Amino acid sequence: MKAKNKKPLIIIAAVIVTAGVLALLYITAGQQTFIRTALSGLTLGSLFFLVAGGLTLIFGLMDVLNFAHGSMFMLGAYIGWQLYTNPTFIFGLLPQVLAFASGVLITPIIKPYLIRWKVPEYWIKILPKIGYLLSLLLFFVSFIGLDILGLADTAMVAATTATAGDALAEISVQEPLAQYWFRPILIFISGALVAFSTSKPGQKSEFAPKEKMIRKLIIPIALFILAVEATFIRETAPVTILLMNGNWRFIIAIIVSIIFGFAFGAVIEITLIRPLYVRPTFIIIMTLGLSYVIRELVQLLWDPLAYQMVRPPLFAQRGKAASLLEWLQNGNATIDIVGVTIPTYRLFVIALGIIMFIFITILMTKSRLGMIIRAGVQDPQMVEALGINVKAVFTVVFGLGVAMAALGGIGAGPFLPIQPIMGDHYQTQGLITVVIGGMGSYGGAFVGAMILGMARAFGDYFALKYSLSTAIAEASTVIIMIIVLLARPQGLFGKKE
Amino acid sequence: MTEKPITMEPVTKKTTISSLINRERGFLIFIAIMILFPFVMNWITGTGLNEGITKFWQGQFITFFIMAVFAMSYDLLIGYGGILSFGHAASFGGGAYAFALLMKHWAPNFMSQYRILIGSLDITQTIVLIFVFLIVLLVSILIGLLFAATSIRLKGTYFAMLTLAIGQALFILIKATDFHEWTGADEGLHGVPLPVWLNPTQNRLTVYFITLVFLFGSYLLMKRMTNSPTGHVVVANRENEDRMRMIGYNPVSFRTVAFVISSVFAGVAGALYSIWNMSATPNMLSAVTTVDALIMTILGGMGTLIGPIIGAGISQVIQQFFYTWFGARWPLVFGLLFMLIVIFLPYGIVGTWRLKRLDIKEGWHRFVGLFKIQKDQS
Repeated sequence: MKAKNKKPLIIIAAVIVTAGVLALLYITAGQQTFIRTALSGLTLGSLFFLVAGGLTLIFGLMDVLNFAHGSMFMLGAYIGWQLYTNPTFIFGLLPQVLAFASGVLITPIIKPYLIRWKVPEYWIKILPKIGYLLSLLLFFVSFIGLDILGLADTAMVAATTATAGDALAEISVQEPLAQYWFRPILIFISGALVAFSTSKPGQKSEFAPKEKMIRKLIIPIALFILAVEATFIRETAPVTILLMNGNWRFIIAIIVSIIFGFAFGAVIEITLIRPLYVRPTFIIIMTLGLSYVIRELVQLLWDPLAYQMVRPPLFAQRGKAASLLEWLQNGNATIDIVGVTIPTYRLFVIALGIIMFIFITILMTKSRLGMIIRAGVQDPQMVEALGINVKAVFTVVFGLGVAMAALGGIGAGPFLPIQPIMGDHYQTQGLITVVIGGMGSYGGAFVGAMILGMARAFGDYFALKYSLSTAIAEASTVIIMIIVLLARPQGLFGKKE
Repeated sequence: MTEKPITMEPVTKKTTISSLINRERGFLIFIAIMILFPFVMNWITGTGLNEGITKFWQGQFITFFIMAVFAMSYDLLIGYGGILSFGHAASFGGGAYAFALLMKHWAPNFMSQYRILIGSLDITQTIVLIFVFLIVLLVSILIGLLFAATSIRLKGTYFAMLTLAIGQALFILIKATDFHEWTGADEGLHGVPLPVWLNPTQNRLTVYFITLVFLFGSYLLMKRMTNSPTGHVVVANRENEDRMRMIGYNPVSFRTVAFVISSVFAGVAGALYSIWNMSATPNMLSAVTTVDALIMTILGGMGTLIGPIIGAGISQVIQQFFYTWFGARWPLVFGLLFMLIVIFLPYGIVGTWRLKRLDIKEGWHRFVGLFKIQKDQS
């Protein structure tokens, strides 16, 4: 009972302290600077939250500290930027990705028949290996001669020639359909071979029911149809997208980034992280290696340069808007808030962070998935015993976390230079945020992110005022973390182990 | 029925020189090859000991020796102590900066004012170097204690994060422009004045042998440490901390021992690295350096001392050759290789060898047996 009575007191004390600190800052900095600095702090804070929210989700359920989260943030930015400036790259590779996915996803359909197949004992071990080898071979054959680097390069032309807003990017000529058609088919067969190998033909110890076959067929068939469609619209779709209004394009870019992040995260979880749950330290090491690989891959595709993403027209017009309504009508680049000029895009980033926080809160507290996740955090074995596929939940949560990182990436795209190292800084800050807030607590992540953003912004301001170097602002986040950890080892909102 | 009384006396074997040689055969052979290497290279290529390709390969090996000790010291933490620290570069860079700062800002002043003579022999330089190395030891011990102090309250992931944070804090401190005239901020300290006999461009062979001796000595010392009762308690601490506490050992003090020892080796390695490069840069303190040591340790095998040496060698070779083989994007290939090793060889090269040794030997014997000439074929 005593512990319960303490809680309101702590909340009141926290509110008083926060208000006191803010009031102190208000007095020392003056109104205009205070608002400007606080808004830039909130911007940083919501970017930190977009990284830390995913990290804390993943850590809370699976105890996985994802050191590749910054790279996924960066990858999300690159994918969104690609779609926004030149979608040729994405549409050029989409048929193959979809065909491979539909090939792999036929596993639950063929598995019940394959494990009942009578295979000589000698072949049980060898068949999957042959399958993997053949699928690898077909996988590479289907990419031979496809100019992936060329596809990625076209966007760079777009980045340098596009002036503002809706400039049409240059579109390189793609391989004609008459030459291209065999690639999706080959890669579909490759995926099907992977499915064949993973379902372990002839293995009698495996279990797979033959029920609900038609329901299981829906996903692979839908993906296959999409792959066929993607093959046909491969050349026309980029033009269509580029001719759209820039705002719509930006929204599509955000959606594509989220979908990509989710799919990428799910694939990473299934292939790389799942085998390592028995060795937790190695998961950290694996994600470190993964971040290394992702960064190098991005440098290979897009060269180690920094790109500037053009802001969507809603944030691009010159001139200052006097009110929120005027901005929405004219699409001004800056807005006047109580006499302070603020770039409108910052408001969008802040809104994005807050919307994500509300979305996660609703998802975790109201939805069935949130209920399962919360139960899984407490006792995974019990949840599994109740008939819920915890493995699948893990995959979904990892995908969600990475999707959040990718969303953060594209959200930050027009705001930061897009380059291979753009995620590193946010990853460190995200990790610090998660530790401050308490691992696994999304509310804590939000509070921590805001504290860090504010500390960073005001640290910069005071460093400038007293002519110190920015090192103090940089170190302030680390110092806050050290203080919090030494005072409350489980973080501000974390539960005691 | 009489039961044998259970004795609590540990079985002690005296280590003699011959038993040591017998046990460390591989390592000693490696050291011998390394001692002969510059002379053989000189003999083959015909260039002088201190020029051309011989000099180049000496440089490669110097980096390898230093990084091997750094990786071994990291292995002492992660492999033996089970402590995942992301701030180990702080010790390495701390040692390097302590050395470079003193040599650059204090030693020239001191040497221009005072002379220490024995008879007519001028030993000022030697005394200064010894003093600087003592300071390096002190700094690295302090850094080790700092990390150990944080491990009192925190465990697991939180601890790993805190080490990362402390490492970052030191990194930011070194990079801060406020201390530009001392630390050189972003660029670091360059052109550290060194006595001629220790200058790697003029007398590379000396540096080569100093670092080789350092590797040899560190290996033996660490081996002794891990085989000592203290080392066993450190390992037991990794396996089950609660049980250790129940038996009556204080986990914190043994963790402190592990931290301080590994930090000292890393610090001295850092000081030698700053001799070799004649500079100390902020990069030596960054998390990237820690990750490098981690990669070397994983490649070679955690929990073995010979593993990190092999890992350091491999990563050195890879850095040398992958660039010519794969172009500027060689880290991509390296990263993929690393991920494959983490999945398929989680115990590293040495660990896997120790696990599969018998299988491999049996297979080899069977393979050799295929070619044996059968004598009595009746």
